[in-house]
Amino acid sequence: MIAHRRRVLLPRLVSGWSAAVILLLEFGFFTLVLAPRNGGPHTFANLANVALILKYSSIFGIGAIGAAMVIGAGGIDLAPGAVIALASVITGHLFVIENAPLWAACVAGITVGLAAGAVSAALVVLANLPPFIATLGVMGIARGAGFLITEGRFYDLSSRLPSGTAPLGLSLAGWPGVIMMLLAAYFQLVMTRTAVGRHVLATGGNEVAARYAGVHVGRVKTFVYVTAGGLAALSGVVLAVVQGQGKADMATGYELDIIAAAVVGGASLSGGRASVVGAVIGSLIFGVLRNALAQIPGGTFADRLILGFAVLIIVVMDRLATRERA
Amino acid sequence: MIAFRRHTLALLSLIAVANALPGCFHPADTPRMLRFAFIPKALHIPVFEYARIGAERAAKRLGGIEIIWRGAESTDEIRQKEILESFIAQHVDGIAISCLNGDLLTDAIDRAVDAGIPVVTWDSDAPRSKRLAFYGVNDVEAGRALGDGLAKLISGHGRVAMITSLGADNLQKRLDGAKDALKKYADIRIVEVFDVRDDAVRVAEVIASAAQRYPDLDGWLSVGGWPVFVRNALDPIDPSRTKVVAFDTIPPAPDLLRAGKVQLLVGQKYFGWGEEPVRLLKRIIEGDRPHEPYQYSGMDVVTRDNLDAYLEQWKRWQQGTL
Repeated sequence: MIAHRRRVLLPRLVSGWSAAVILLLEFGFFTLVLAPRNGGPHTFANLANVALILKYSSIFGIGAIGAAMVIGAGGIDLAPGAVIALASVITGHLFVIENAPLWAACVAGITVGLAAGAVSAALVVLANLPPFIATLGVMGIARGAGFLITEGRFYDLSSRLPSGTAPLGLSLAGWPGVIMMLLAAYFQLVMTRTAVGRHVLATGGNEVAARYAGVHVGRVKTFVYVTAGGLAALSGVVLAVVQGQGKADMATGYELDIIAAAVVGGASLSGGRASVVGAVIGSLIFGVLRNALAQIPGGTFADRLILGFAVLIIVVMDRLATRERA
Repeated sequence: MIAFRRHTLALLSLIAVANALPGCFHPADTPRMLRFAFIPKALHIPVFEYARIGAERAAKRLGGIEIIWRGAESTDEIRQKEILESFIAQHVDGIAISCLNGDLLTDAIDRAVDAGIPVVTWDSDAPRSKRLAFYGVNDVEAGRALGDGLAKLISGHGRVAMITSLGADNLQKRLDGAKDALKKYADIRIVEVFDVRDDAVRVAEVIASAAQRYPDLDGWLSVGGWPVFVRNALDPIDPSRTKVVAFDTIPPAPDLLRAGKVQLLVGQKYFGWGEEPVRLLKRIIEGDRPHEPYQYSGMDVVTRDNLDAYLEQWKRWQQGTL
């Protein structure tokens, strides 16, 4: 009995609220490790640094919300990195070159992401392509379109944005984190309190059973891919406005970090299980790691290694916890 | 109950270890060191390793300086900016950065300087920012040296292709300089400018496919060292027909020069990228801000004729005796 409890206690720690617990433990750990000994200011646990972690984690976090939904529905989306870049390019091109109002340029950027998601959905639902292949193709098209438009240049949005722009009194740098948290709250409600959310997870859990139960599987898949495309594009638009540039090679390889954040946050790659809030927390776990490791002497060459181990350990423990519950 | 006690013990041990760790990073009784953050374009670009050696060597010589070497694993502009901003949040004593995208970094560099953290750029500048100094080659002049060198090798006429990595300020200047130099020769035509995205693997692919498409090409001009960072990238080129000039002289480039695969190299002061910013930051902190922000390092034009002398000099740089 005791042995059994011992065997399941640790896995249980990382199930359910696991991602949040890990984030808190991680933050606490680095707060202690990086505590100043000479009475100087804390270089990790300070408001400016927390804002910094939120700002950069949001690039992945906003995309990870969509990734969690796609994975929950039994799919995978490899396009978000390229869609982020393309949306930043479209926004930049319209705002800087065509002198469009910022809001219109942003809407156009998000629309392109929705369109990319719709293409993925059409390839998966209508052409019955495996999601990996369909979204790989969309990834290439989106990245290529960005390069075709920019021809290697970048659009300098910052040159047209008045300095000190602070919508609703909050600086531009503060907005990505706020947007990420609002989106996480909204989509968490969608996934846990609405029929749509239940249908998404039912489709990912057992597509045939979901079909027999009356779920419109095609519509569900279309919903998740279009939503994921729109969210990735929103991340690109936010990136372009906050960082001040639209560029075709931005966010290269970010799709893997976005998927990893969703998985660390509790999404099962075999479908049927996903947490939107977990995905956002997953992106914060990586954000804290990136930030803290940069402060530890000699850490720079170990960053990737430690991030890789972190993903594996968290996912393996989550898998063990799931097995115990079953 | 036993399990609970064991887990409590494990947790307390973890806290104890975490509490002990700061001592490892901040020895309590040592005098306060100046913390200089060095940010290369990326960790995977080989030339920056020499900059790191130079920075650590200069810090040791001057004393009281700690070098914090941090870079993105690949050429990721957003990640580089994140690292820069994390150093601002850490309130380091100085920042030396080789900018992947100077314009993208300008607002963060300005914030650092406004917050009292001196910033110098090296290798690749952010000219519109408030950075206090730039150390590196005069990229326009270096580009011209490449252009003139190639023009001489192909006797002022022929078709040439160029290799760059779009986005970096320094590479764009070199490209502009090279194009400017080649303009003087009416019989030289640039057929293509290839973007290899700072990738020494991609460059081999680009050269191989371009050799198919332009079999009668007279010259290649690379404003970065990608074709000479690997031994086989230039294999598809027939050196008796096509001449190659490239930036950078780090190994294995000298071997390729000796083997005749490349005919002219332009070298930079790689160890100086690390040494000079350390000196500059120390000077600035002591109140001696350089009047002229552009601290040009000069360059080394290396051909087979002066290769042995250059390698001798390289040995002394490595040993720190020059």
